[in-house]
Amino acid sequence: MDLSLLFAQALSGLSRGMMLFLIASGLSLIFGVMNILNFAHATLWLVGAYACYTFWFLLQNHDFAVWLAIPLAALSVALVGWVIEVVLIRRVYERELPEQLLLTYALVLILGDLIKITWGVDDKLITRPAMLSEPVYLAGVPIDSYFIFVIAVGFAVYLALWWFLQKTRYGHIVRAAVFSREMVSALGIPIPIIYTGVFVLGIFIAGLAGAIQGPVGSVTLGMDMAVVIQAFCVVIIGGFGSLPGTMVSSIIVGEVYAFAILFWPGGALALIFILTAIVLIVRPWGLFGTPLRA
Amino acid sequence: MGKKKWAWAGAVFAALLLLPAVLGEFWVLVLTEIVIMGLFAVSFNMIFGYMGQLSFGHAAYYGVGAYTTGLLMVKAGLPLALCLPFSMIMAGAVALVLGYFCIRLTGIYFAILTMAFGQLIFYIIFQWYSFTGGDNGLQGIRPPAMLDGAWSYYYFALLVVTAAVVVMWIISESPFGYTMRAIRDNPQRTRFVGVNTKKYMLINFVVAAMFAGLAGGLWGPFNRSISPDLCNWHQSGVPVFMTIIGGPTGFLGPLIGSVIYTFLMAFVTGFTEYWPLTIGIIITMVVLFMPGGVWGLVERYGAALPARKEPPADSEREAS
Repeated sequence: MDLSLLFAQALSGLSRGMMLFLIASGLSLIFGVMNILNFAHATLWLVGAYACYTFWFLLQNHDFAVWLAIPLAALSVALVGWVIEVVLIRRVYERELPEQLLLTYALVLILGDLIKITWGVDDKLITRPAMLSEPVYLAGVPIDSYFIFVIAVGFAVYLALWWFLQKTRYGHIVRAAVFSREMVSALGIPIPIIYTGVFVLGIFIAGLAGAIQGPVGSVTLGMDMAVVIQAFCVVIIGGFGSLPGTMVSSIIVGEVYAFAILFWPGGALALIFILTAIVLIVRPWGLFGTPLRA
Repeated sequence: MGKKKWAWAGAVFAALLLLPAVLGEFWVLVLTEIVIMGLFAVSFNMIFGYMGQLSFGHAAYYGVGAYTTGLLMVKAGLPLALCLPFSMIMAGAVALVLGYFCIRLTGIYFAILTMAFGQLIFYIIFQWYSFTGGDNGLQGIRPPAMLDGAWSYYYFALLVVTAAVVVMWIISESPFGYTMRAIRDNPQRTRFVGVNTKKYMLINFVVAAMFAGLAGGLWGPFNRSISPDLCNWHQSGVPVFMTIIGGPTGFLGPLIGSVIYTFLMAFVTGFTEYWPLTIGIIITMVVLFMPGGVWGLVERYGAALPARKEPPADSEREAS
């Protein structure tokens, strides 16, 4: 096997990992702060992809169609996330874990059918913007330029989130809430607003990721089902609520998948589940998490 | 207590016994599905209701059971009656290995580890074309001639499920069952009084998986074919739904959930393809406005009746 193929595969794995990071970072943030595991996260990601298709379709006569469709789709999904938080999630803050899980699982089913009703069962294709449709040559190896774009967005979102969490006042509050909600509340900071904000932020990133996923291939019903489990795996491996952990584990999972598919195509996903199980058994709080909160 | 509970159980059983006499073939098939899925849900509730942990990979054991019976019948030609115990043993053996790790975790971590293991089993079955047929599934699982009819297979399934549910009932009312409740309510205290909680939890996990395997074994000959989807995480969600609708605090809760869920599915899919939307809305409503499910309502209503003599504090917990 020659090196250029390995290089191309590594980049494809990185791109896959970045897509997982975009989904898992919101999932991890929401769980870290609100203690709610959002099953519907990847379904909202898929809504982002379909919304991107719709905006692109409306704008397709313009050169900038995709460039405008992506942020519009992300914002629309954030709006949907806000409605979901206010109407549903807010009511189960104080409930037991199974009920919260079931509510978000029910959302998967509801949103899945709503997607079907809205966009139908046909696959949707989004034409890539001209500048991302040709491969680029890195060290003589042709690389899908869209992969580079996905990787760039992944790192940009990572940096933006890092800056937000480490450098801004609201970021400090969110980090404090991950550590102890009671303490933050005792300081007079309204927890419900923080919750809503974090949820909408997480869903916004998921929507953005979905919108970016749109032009990668065709947008298909049920795409979210495989992704949500992998995003869970990423969050578990990295550790709930840890941003660097989510980044590192996204890259691990993306690369493991990319290389497993070369050498053992049938076992790529199985390998990821085994990895997750090992981490859960040895370090349930993940590679970068802290064992403080069970 | 108990009189009331026996009356309930008796009424359910009588209904299940007599209903097919007046129903058409379609509804007898639905009823068969109700009892098989009911067994699956009751076995799930051994972990959820009695051990207090949410398993999101229970379908793995159901699937292992289904494939054990399916493969033994199709490839080895073994009679169904022999395959079913094998289904239980295989599901139990897999649960012994995987459960050993799962019971070390609780809460969300338990849910995700059971789910990860469940998906692992799913992918093994999905990819192992030479043995399981992969995503083509396994066809031509025919019940023996004697049971080859909607009514006869229904009564066979009812017999097996009733026996299994009675055994689970006995387990839940035995000292073992009460130890599980103690572990659920306060694991630390239970350890203090000298109970090896890990061992008890593992045994409970394995027993629950065995009954899930039995339910899976019954499914193949009923459906005539099986596919890897039987162990996918969606399938794991089904007993969770049934239990939440029926109510996890009552032993019969999951069974009531199975009746409602399966009947509703048969009814709704008759005129719309949007079954997931329907059940999603129902689950949302139950979670938001009816915590405790149908059994929770029965308990609340029952407690309000003056005829009930037991002190309420006792009956709260005992009713499970």
